[in-house]
Amino acid sequence: MADTILVVVEQQQGKLNRASWETIAAGQTIAAATGWALEAAVVGASIGEVAVEVAGKKLAKVYAIDAVVLGAYTPDAFAVALKQLVEAIQPKLVIMPHTYQVRDFAPKLAASLGRSLISDCIAFRKDDTSGQLLFTRQMFQGKFAADVTFQSEAPWFATFQNGSFRGDHAEDGAAPAPVEAFAVTIADGVVRNKPEAWFKEAKAAVDLTQAEIIVAIGRGIKEEKNIAIAQALADALGGEVAASRPICDNGWLPMDRQVGSSGQTVAPKVYIALGISGAIQHVVGMKGARAIIAINKDAEAPIFEIADYAVVGNLFDIVPPLTEEVKKARAGA
Amino acid sequence: MAAATTPSQKIAGGSFLLETRQPCEVFTPEDFNEQHQMILQTADEFAAQEILPNADKIEHKDFSVSRELIRKAAELGLSSVDIPEAYGGMEMDKVTSCIVADRVAVYAGFATSWGAHTGIGTLPLVFFGTEAQKQQYLPRIANGELTTAYALSESSSGSDAMNCRARAELSADGRHWILNGEKMWITNGGFADLFTVFAKVDGEQFSAFLVERSFPGFSTGAEEHKLGIRGSSTTPVILNDCKVPKENLLGEIGKGHVIAFNILNIGRYKLGAACVGGARIATKQAIEYAKQRKAFGKPISDFGLIREKLANMAIGIYAGESIVYRTVGMLDAALSNIDKSAPDAARQICKGIEEYAVECSILKVWGSEMIDYVADEMVQIFGGYGFVEEYPAERAYRDARINRIFEGTNEINRLIITGFLLKRAMSGQLPLLPAIKKLMDEVMAGPSFGDADESAFAAERSMVTAAKKLTLFAAGSASQKYMQAMPDQQELMGAIADMVIESYAMESCLLRAEKLAASKTDAAAKLPVAMTQVYLAEAMEKVESRARKVIAAVAEGDMMRTQMAILRRLGKHEPIDTIPLRQMIAQRVIEVGKYGV
Amino acid sequence: MKILVCMKQVPQKDAPLKLNEAGTWIREEVSYEVNEPDAYALEEALRQKEKHTGEVVVITSGPARSQQVLREALAKGADRAIHLEDDAFVGLDAFNTAKAFAAAIKDEQFDLIFTGLQSDDYGFAQTGVILAELLGWAHATIIMQIEKTEAGIRVKRELEAGYFQYVDMPTPAVLTIQSGINKLRYATLIGIKNAKNKPMRKVAMAEVASAIGPNLQKIERLYVPQKSKQTQLLEGSPGEIAKKLVDKLRNELRAI
Repeated sequence: MADTILVVVEQQQGKLNRASWETIAAGQTIAAATGWALEAAVVGASIGEVAVEVAGKKLAKVYAIDAVVLGAYTPDAFAVALKQLVEAIQPKLVIMPHTYQVRDFAPKLAASLGRSLISDCIAFRKDDTSGQLLFTRQMFQGKFAADVTFQSEAPWFATFQNGSFRGDHAEDGAAPAPVEAFAVTIADGVVRNKPEAWFKEAKAAVDLTQAEIIVAIGRGIKEEKNIAIAQALADALGGEVAASRPICDNGWLPMDRQVGSSGQTVAPKVYIALGISGAIQHVVGMKGARAIIAINKDAEAPIFEIADYAVVGNLFDIVPPLTEEVKKARAGA
Repeated sequence: MAAATTPSQKIAGGSFLLETRQPCEVFTPEDFNEQHQMILQTADEFAAQEILPNADKIEHKDFSVSRELIRKAAELGLSSVDIPEAYGGMEMDKVTSCIVADRVAVYAGFATSWGAHTGIGTLPLVFFGTEAQKQQYLPRIANGELTTAYALSESSSGSDAMNCRARAELSADGRHWILNGEKMWITNGGFADLFTVFAKVDGEQFSAFLVERSFPGFSTGAEEHKLGIRGSSTTPVILNDCKVPKENLLGEIGKGHVIAFNILNIGRYKLGAACVGGARIATKQAIEYAKQRKAFGKPISDFGLIREKLANMAIGIYAGESIVYRTVGMLDAALSNIDKSAPDAARQICKGIEEYAVECSILKVWGSEMIDYVADEMVQIFGGYGFVEEYPAERAYRDARINRIFEGTNEINRLIITGFLLKRAMSGQLPLLPAIKKLMDEVMAGPSFGDADESAFAAERSMVTAAKKLTLFAAGSASQKYMQAMPDQQELMGAIADMVIESYAMESCLLRAEKLAASKTDAAAKLPVAMTQVYLAEAMEKVESRARKVIAAVAEGDMMRTQMAILRRLGKHEPIDTIPLRQMIAQRVIEVGKYGV
Repeated sequence: MKILVCMKQVPQKDAPLKLNEAGTWIREEVSYEVNEPDAYALEEALRQKEKHTGEVVVITSGPARSQQVLREALAKGADRAIHLEDDAFVGLDAFNTAKAFAAAIKDEQFDLIFTGLQSDDYGFAQTGVILAELLGWAHATIIMQIEKTEAGIRVKRELEAGYFQYVDMPTPAVLTIQSGINKLRYATLIGIKNAKNKPMRKVAMAEVASAIGPNLQKIERLYVPQKSKQTQLLEGSPGEIAKKLVDKLRNELRAI
């Protein structure tokens, strides 16, 4: 059997998660480097259309694992279903987007096969001399990167962080890839969790994803009352205030203003980070911004790694005059 | 762990001048056990999450916030470290007590209130209260329900507290003490519930009383407008035929001074710890500012003169920690043998602490001058921003100043240091005179050429020995001339006190560095060793200059010249280049963003 | 309820980290603290115990220094601790760490095992889920709320983009706890005092060695990440910086 890479895409109620395209792009990159064939799998209930949509990409084959029991996500059902597929087709490498759902079942899937998962990768490289596949992941809150290799027999499992590859770089196939139904057997009693419907907590929640300009605050804002400084700047710019997790954990801003892995993923025109150090959990939610302005008094803060404009200094000194200048500029314009 | 690293036998107070100590004999912050570490962390978290966010409110005299914080601290047990378990307290060692005082000192306004409450406000009752008095008040103090204050000073008596005018007379029915008078500068005056008030029974016998705010005839005056520690309450206490139940006499009639002096000793070592804590946060803020403030295109933390300041500030903290924890380590060792259930346990504890009156005064003087220096340099590093209220330096600078004044002015404490040593020498309790004689003999015998000591720290050890010798030499010369009249020679007493203080600080730094070097990797010991070397070099200059001052004052002519020659020989040491050492220290503290040991 | 909390000691958030000579790990001479999500996991376990009675046991693996996190947990109210003590535990991958934990608790009967969502050092976010698989238990991740029910527990999972979901599940189960699920308590002095006398079981590497195998993944190289972006550094007085930023916002970013 030829070596293959299996991309497990993610869908919710027949709608494909954007991160799936990124993972297909990742798969295509790895396929190009290794010469391995690329296949995809869609898991869920009534997923025929999604499978067809995925099959439009440059793939050797798409497996559709369609079963009622997979309709509402449970880690038990997903791990068992994918285990059966992996055992049947024996791919060399299985890759998935590093979403909350994948984080929930992928370690279980890999462990159930006695294999290892390299989670939350941001890049892939094949070492020319050793031929090793190197998966890059961040460590110590993004302060370091690590090149990681698998030390076991295949199949290998890896997940890729949102934004590591560009979804729009996923190549279309010359012709649609064949879609093959893969039947799984999930016995009664295998699925132990009983999930309920998704819901949102905050009513009239602000939709940060639609904001053109975001002024975001982190631990550096120090006190709740100082949020007014950021609000004034956001108001002057006609933008929204957002925050990193600790601010919302403190109850200083509602949870729906949180940007990062556990909050919103945003891609505004301008993202102004005030007193945000730039832990990965936050960065994954905003690195897609077209321009990032970071103001932080710690010159070593990781946020500066991804900033387009960097100001090393005290936000309490800089933001008030900045707000004034913005007001002046807008009044003049 | 502490038991293994500190000597079990008691070290005599003041004996550091005469005896050579080994690193294993001193307690250092590196000897904190797991329990100390955890309490330190709780205190740190409390400071960061409860005190600092409330500092602005407290600074504007919202004392309900201070009270609430005192209650919260009590909930965690931070306020009752020195209260016996039997009365709802934590009853922990003095090292713990200092760790907490040190870490709570992030904001002086609150630290002052808290320190007065847990220290001078509560301890008189702990040490001198009757069983009934302790039952009545201590549990409610331990749980934060009651806050306390200490009312000793008056408008016309401060340092000479026993010269007070407040009076107490027994009521006609013999059931109450009737107190009259006015106390001044009473910390927590505005909100405390229970006051230890000093007054003279029948205008003669200096005594202490437990006075509740609610007692008839008790009132407090207006808040003082102070230079610093504005977040603390300071008011007069007015006693106008104040009716105090007879059983609220604290200790014995006419023995108020025993309470006053003992409590001050405790206040002093804790103040030393608080000064270290205050310096720690000031240094952190100065480093933060220096790293982000740019001049000529680079952060000012790159400049040598700023780095020198940052290094000195960190060295101040290092030396401060070294003397504070060495001293409380000795206190704990001395107190550990006391049977806490004995009826006179409290008195024994007081006696144990009094043994180290010199060391306690050293901590107070040295600590308060160190934090003053640190706050001053902090303002300087902040430049113009250091002079305006929006930045932390201005408040730190104002807040630091009081430390040289309260708990006995530094002048009084200098007199105590030299006076106490001389008194002990005269009574033979401390073999100071034989030591001075031995030194004089050694001097007369001329220089000796022993084998050069090439072991690690040999140069540093010889410098510490030299400092002690100079101190003994100066003290010997001065007391030979003035004999019993020495106490009147305040300038000489002060100069000798400076030498004693520096000898203690130098030795404490060195012993800690040696201990660190023996237990940690070279890399980890590098910083404290460098700090020690710089500190020794600076302190030695001070010791030499004071020695010259004393000799010039007590000798003349040929005698003076001979003594100066001796002084030069005793103090002989190779100068060291402190610039690269300070550079290295600064580099490290800038890197970690705080005092980095 | 009998709850096990898996905890980890990680370098302090603001500690300046340096690479070792070989570029495979950080230099060890830094300050350490409890991994933040683990602190929330412990807090949640203590709250559950306060509500339903039971026992809270804490476990960690690592060198002697990592005992500190267990002592802290005991001071906050955990009943006993298990320390897998060996330097070598630091280098284990998530699979092996989970195997070692499973081996160490094989004679125990827990109703729930909590872990933090992920660690601040490796950031695997896997150990808890793998542990559930090894034990054959149900699991749920990124938990924001836990209620006891007749049949087991009902948990609130955090999902992406501000969504949540309730899940009913049987016990025993493994839950990975999200930061911010509750407000952390302080270790009180009385708690710290009492912690000394609480049981701490030490487990040597030899005792669990047969349960673990070679790591299935390896860090070939640890390094400071290359900057991918060109960053313009804006300097000057606050006023000057404000003017420069407005210029960029207007002319380069067209945001004004």
